[in-house]
Amino acid sequence: MTGGGAGDGPEAFVCGEVRTCLLQTSASLPRAEAVRLLRLRSDEAVRFSERPNLYAVSPEVLTGVDCALPAATGSRVRAVGTVQARAVLTEGRVLQATARFSSPVSGPDRRLPWGHYLVRPGVVQPLGRLSVPDVAAGFLGARPAVPDRHAAATVDLGAIAERLLARVLGQPLLDRRAPFKSRRTMLRWFAVHAAAGQGPPTAEFTVAADGLRTLRISAAGLDAAEIAAFCEELALHDWLLTTLIRMIDRSRLGSTAGTEAVLALRPAVDHLLHLWMPGARTGAGPAPLWDGLERHPGFTRQWQTLVQRIRDQVALRAVPFRCQA
Amino acid sequence: MTGTTFREESADPRTQSLPLSHLSVELGHLYMEDFAAGPGRLREQFTRVKPWADAARVSLAGAAGVRRPRVSTCFLVDDYFTRFSSPAELMPMLLAEAKACGLTIDYLAREAGCAAADGVEPASLVEGRLVESPPVGSNGSRPAVREIGWLCNGERTPAAGGEAMSGATAWAAPVETGARRHSVFMDVELWDDGEGGRTWSCPFLAAVWQLLRLGLLRREGQPVLQAVPWGPERGAFPRDWDDLPPLVRLNASAAPFAAYGTFSVLPSRFLPVEHAVRLVLGQVALEEAVLRQTAERADREGFAVPPAVADRAAYAFYAEP
Repeated sequence: MTGGGAGDGPEAFVCGEVRTCLLQTSASLPRAEAVRLLRLRSDEAVRFSERPNLYAVSPEVLTGVDCALPAATGSRVRAVGTVQARAVLTEGRVLQATARFSSPVSGPDRRLPWGHYLVRPGVVQPLGRLSVPDVAAGFLGARPAVPDRHAAATVDLGAIAERLLARVLGQPLLDRRAPFKSRRTMLRWFAVHAAAGQGPPTAEFTVAADGLRTLRISAAGLDAAEIAAFCEELALHDWLLTTLIRMIDRSRLGSTAGTEAVLALRPAVDHLLHLWMPGARTGAGPAPLWDGLERHPGFTRQWQTLVQRIRDQVALRAVPFRCQA
Repeated sequence: MTGTTFREESADPRTQSLPLSHLSVELGHLYMEDFAAGPGRLREQFTRVKPWADAARVSLAGAAGVRRPRVSTCFLVDDYFTRFSSPAELMPMLLAEAKACGLTIDYLAREAGCAAADGVEPASLVEGRLVESPPVGSNGSRPAVREIGWLCNGERTPAAGGEAMSGATAWAAPVETGARRHSVFMDVELWDDGEGGRTWSCPFLAAVWQLLRLGLLRREGQPVLQAVPWGPERGAFPRDWDDLPPLVRLNASAAPFAAYGTFSVLPSRFLPVEHAVRLVLGQVALEEAVLRQTAERADREGFAVPPAVADRAAYAFYAEP
């Protein structure tokens, strides 16, 4: 198989960025409102499922791009196509926006009529040939903070995801009273197509000091939608863990006596603890990736330890009350 | 892998297909001024259109090698920008004039139906699917231009004084994306928002009209704007346009309304509008399932359908006296 003149060669990679945040509203949204919130287009229904948890997905929104792809070596390959973005709401509480595109290794030498790209949603084709390792390194290594004003702008998936979040969060349906403080997390991911027979897929998860998470995946038989769903799920669990750690930190658990710490942790019990369900939405392809991540860094192990700590505190505080009664 | 799968119906949408003709021929587009000019104007228009409508049918049989061409005809009445007359008054006259010229109007549509029909808003469905062709350098950080209600085929002249502290901004020519050396730049106003809500522009509604005729619009997988049969048994036409369904089938034996391709016979003054229609059609991302269904069906019939939607609309423009 070759890249082909029309750029319809096999996908060489798929990459994306997920932004995860708490839905800015006091109570978690019930199903009907979740559906209303994510109705970004009037012609397509919001998809939702209730098992194993309430999960709603907006229709995909496309954005046209014609710009350079990032590259570690500084070689700028121009690429044209559409970036696909969607918003996802889990249990009416955690909102995520993902922007992604996939790309073949080579494409047509010049930009074709726009209709050619419109019928390939979520595909960005290079003009000429690109080097996948170079783009991967450039994409995962790029930092959003200090843009170089003189360099040609490279594709900005973060901006697309952020704009989508703003569009969803700007709706009057939300009362903007969050039950606790939390921060947005960013996960940038890049999945390369591995040759068949290379064994199970592999993933490399990194948390950088500035808060950016990066994930590099290598998988045979790349299914862009499956990989994207896996990355959303990973981002969700990483956000849950990060948020719970911060909450425990702020509650000064272990150093404060009395009920203060327990009161500070109450939102975790009300809003977060039931959300932990790694692998619930992961398709068969990327499922083995969870095993690796559970071994190292061991997400669930850490989560359970934290949850147990909270439950122990709650139980301890309950004892004197009962004695006084 | 286990053989167990769990699927929830609501998480897995389905798309319905539509019956399709080979060609949808538009015999005319009636505005208030045409109506005001009296039945003579209609007669004149139909006389001019007739040879073109016949030619379209012949060409379909000849060039495409279709043995039994399915061709449906339609007529559009503008009741969106101005309200005039009533179906009871207009329809008998319209049908009589067409018949006198040897034409049959299979379907009649109201332009307001392109904006809102049966609880569906076809225009807003299309608006939600606009994906601008990006000028060179677009990296996704700019907000969608559809937020301002204008769509163009390239890069606009930068606004004067757009960049702070940059001093006098030199004027730069607009550029058509993919121009052949020189640009034909076009910027189309799709709507304006006033106190009374949104008013869609004539070119945008015309683009919606083309998409409806091409059978490419769906809402949650369901077809939009279904034709309601309207024969003599239903009695007189209503006194109010609102009481007439947005799309009526006047001929019981008509071929399906939607078609693989459209052909419109229009006076030359519509040329800019249809150029704008082409620009809009080139920047609408339609549902993959619908495009695939149409392509597969055409393939089975051995009928060639251009992949680009804008290329599925053909025209004949005639000079008005």
